[in-house]
Amino acid sequence: MPPKGWKKASAAAPAKTLVLDNGAYTLKAGLVAASANPSYDDCHVLPNCIARSVRDRRTYVSSELYQCRDFGELAFRRPVEKGFIVNWEAEKAIWEHELLDETAGEGLRCNPKDTNLLLMEKPNCPKELQKNCDEIVFEQFEFRAYYRCVGPILNAYHPPIPPSLSSLPQECLLIIDTSYSDTTILPLYSGQLIQAAVRRLTVGGKLLTNYLKELASLRHYNMMEETYLLNEIKEAVSFVAPSAQQYTTDLERTWKGRLGDKRAIDSSIVVDYVLPDYEGSIHGYARPHDPVQSRMRRGLQPLQGPREDVLPLGNERFAVPELLFRPTDIGIQEAGIPGAIMESLSVLPEAMKAAMLTNIVVVGGNSLIPGFIERLESELRPLVPTEYLLNVSKAEDPIKHNWLGAARFASQPELLKEVLVSKAEYDERGSTWLAKKFSWGER
Amino acid sequence: MPHVEVLPNSASVAAPGWTYVVDNGYDPSKIAINPKDRKRAATRPGGPRGENELSARQQIAIARRIAELERDNDPKQSIPVPGKSSVPKTQNARRIIQYQRQIKHWLDDEIAQLQQAPPPPPRAAGPGARTAAQPLRRASTMTGPPPTPSEATPGLVTPGIITPVLGNRPASDIDPLLSVDSSIPAPLRPAELEALLSAPPLSYAASHAAPPPSGGPPQRQFCDNCGYWGKIKCLKCGARICGLECKDAHEATRCLKWA
Repeated sequence: MPPKGWKKASAAAPAKTLVLDNGAYTLKAGLVAASANPSYDDCHVLPNCIARSVRDRRTYVSSELYQCRDFGELAFRRPVEKGFIVNWEAEKAIWEHELLDETAGEGLRCNPKDTNLLLMEKPNCPKELQKNCDEIVFEQFEFRAYYRCVGPILNAYHPPIPPSLSSLPQECLLIIDTSYSDTTILPLYSGQLIQAAVRRLTVGGKLLTNYLKELASLRHYNMMEETYLLNEIKEAVSFVAPSAQQYTTDLERTWKGRLGDKRAIDSSIVVDYVLPDYEGSIHGYARPHDPVQSRMRRGLQPLQGPREDVLPLGNERFAVPELLFRPTDIGIQEAGIPGAIMESLSVLPEAMKAAMLTNIVVVGGNSLIPGFIERLESELRPLVPTEYLLNVSKAEDPIKHNWLGAARFASQPELLKEVLVSKAEYDERGSTWLAKKFSWGER
Repeated sequence: MPHVEVLPNSASVAAPGWTYVVDNGYDPSKIAINPKDRKRAATRPGGPRGENELSARQQIAIARRIAELERDNDPKQSIPVPGKSSVPKTQNARRIIQYQRQIKHWLDDEIAQLQQAPPPPPRAAGPGARTAAQPLRRASTMTGPPPTPSEATPGLVTPGIITPVLGNRPASDIDPLLSVDSSIPAPLRPAELEALLSAPPLSYAASHAAPPPSGGPPQRQFCDNCGYWGKIKCLKCGARICGLECKDAHEATRCLKWA
């Protein structure tokens, strides 16, 4: 039997909040104390997957992947599909490994019984999945208290520019979250999501990687099993063409020419990606295309000395991220990001629309592709009435930005107190009540 | 085709592992690539295909490819969770952890539930933003800019200011040509704002972006093999290619004629 006053003591202990942005590719997690001033450094980015290598017959859970030395034919199991937690068996193993057990990293390990959980999800999550999530959080992990909300909403709690002292959320904010699973457009008003105006594009980082994988496999080597490598290549070499005209020019410059009318390949765009052999090197690197070498390589590789395999990348560099702006290029019947933004704003009253356009913030990993913001701005400008201001900015760290917004929210006890639901309340009223409460909180 | 309807039954239990799914009819990503029936093409309701329309076979191939590109997990591989996992603490948690369903099952479920449940009656207080939003969603997204007055001043809208206070000035004071009232959007009405903020979330399927407007630029066509402009069509399957060299490569690998 616990000693007297035991319960009281644990309730009085300063509760920390585990802020968790449970993305499909990485989970962003960090413990935030009340009234702390969180920064990007407090956020830990961990792969949200279980990977299995057929080569060394090892299974890597989440951060164990950092120890992996051979990414060849690595197969992934991702518990999050299309942004929603679907497979709780795998997600539970990852959470336990990274957050709860002895294997958890320093600064992340917590005891759920005296920790609050702030879990961020994607918009338009099916209700059944939300219910499953709530039940697992309280019944399996037994967190002390819990709040679940659409992650990008909490970006409204970033201090505005110019900074002000008020803790009020920003009034009008248009978040473009271009992530691994998809790209979503979320207009926020005073820290509330305008649900009817949320729009989603199928194109996300996953689709871009898979597309590059398909192109490289068709044109060069079969790489259909090398998802990890192709993702690395995408991150290293891809760029967004500044405009549709420039896209045409670049396409001309990377064309090999007609039969009998060969053109010299423009080595200012074409790069050679030196593939890792997973013996001497784990990561590949890009270097400018060298036509002489590639002609020599058609013959035999040197018997002595280092052998290297090179993947030449021409129009793949900009045709792949182009899908974000022209999904119809591969037949996805959706307008690109600028069109989807205008579609989302068309639901809003005119005054709000004008204010949203002055405060567009792009978050998510795809915005790290060079040229993304410039292209978005130049394509959006003609769609916006001339008398409206347009201001598109990229988050300082697009991957951790949602997390930091949530951490700032969680560090303010008076805000957090209003939304948290304690385990006792859940036990008393059940998951249907909880789902209703959270969806009311979203309004 | 017989019409099957599931009658609401108080005793029905949502058992894991199976569900009633609404038959949405034709899903091009799921059916086999059919041989094309040239003979009957002319007698079909739409008549023979136009120059730029895709054949059923091409549409299926595209739908399959997109489904393949956006797949999260490979259903053929199963990667077991390593180590001994802790025992689920409640019956409910055990049930949830043991689900082996994929996202498409959940999304199908959601659609099925939405179709079974009667749509909620529009609330009396104010127009439901959802019902208000739906017709807008169907409408063309690229509405032209509002008519600009001849003396439009750029940069009128200050960030963060939603309800402009300029409207209070007597209109007679300023030259109508210099008046900026017409370029300032109407202030927000509280009822409208309330309706917008209280609208329920859209379903996953309803949140997708609309297709590009039909009046926009035509779809760009690329070479199936090298990614350059697809200037010519393969005579056998209709895919685009850029030249003879790519035609040979295309026929050797990807031509749908033999798929």
